[in-house]
Amino acid sequence: MRRGRLGATVAEILVWQVALSVLWLVLISTVDPLELFVGLGCALVGAVAAVAARRAVSGR
Amino acid sequence: MTDTLLLISLCAVAATATAAVLVRDPARQALVLSVLGLALAVLFTVLQAPDVALSQLAVGSALTPLLILLSVRKVRRRGRREEDGR
Amino acid sequence: MNAWLVCASLLLVAGLLPVVWGTARGPLGHRVVAQNCGTSVVCLVMLLLAQGYERPAYTDLALVLAVLGPVGTLVFARLLSGELDEEPRWGRAVTALTVAATAPVVIASCAATGPGRAAVKVVFIGVLLAAGNVIASRTLSGAHRNPTETRYD
Repeated sequence: MRRGRLGATVAEILVWQVALSVLWLVLISTVDPLELFVGLGCALVGAVAAVAARRAVSGR
Repeated sequence: MTDTLLLISLCAVAATATAAVLVRDPARQALVLSVLGLALAVLFTVLQAPDVALSQLAVGSALTPLLILLSVRKVRRRGRREEDGR
Repeated sequence: MNAWLVCASLLLVAGLLPVVWGTARGPLGHRVVAQNCGTSVVCLVMLLLAQGYERPAYTDLALVLAVLGPVGTLVFARLLSGELDEEPRWGRAVTALTVAATAPVVIASCAATGPGRAAVKVVFIGVLLAAGNVIASRTLSGAHRNPTETRYD
């Protein structure tokens, strides 16, 4: 049961990270490898925050 | 020709700033200050200073009204508590 | 002074000056709706100025305002919820007009930018602006209908 929860959490973080990275790449002006790296890192932080916020709001 | 745009934004800033002075209640002033922030952002953009406009938008649209309204609420709460306690 | 800047000045005169007038007088419910409309109008003006001055960097201003404008209106709806007494009769019409005005500005900006990431960015800004405006105005009319009695003792 707990391993299922962990898997679901990791999957949700990955989905959020991909979505936020795509958003970042759409919004910036020029796409460098450095920008991609920065975007992935910040998207990971944002994804963790988003998952935590969703958990807090939906009360799971 | 771009002076027209500059003139319009300057008039908007002047009108909003005058309204902010003439409105007396702080809660209503917070609303006018939010619109003043918007007018200033437009003025900065017309004057080709987008970074300043970005900072103005970031501060003036949400933060300044929040600070003012929270202060008003705290002052009113303390005033009412002192009134009841006396 | 090209057509974009002319449109931007027309939108400023027709949009921002009435908003300033509406925010400065009248009951509190009218003022908050005017402030909500003002944030959307200025966001559209920023999109037009980005095209008029041919600086695609100015669309970032529209992006920030599309996010922070509704947040500001929600701040007012939350902290003034006890005092918003009446909703103006022109409230829904003004919201519908602002959302409807988003479409031609966004479409024209996309057509001028050409296909690519910049056009997707402008479309995203337009969607965010319309959604934020609708959410903020719905919250305001909800706060108008049920004013919560905040007690300070």
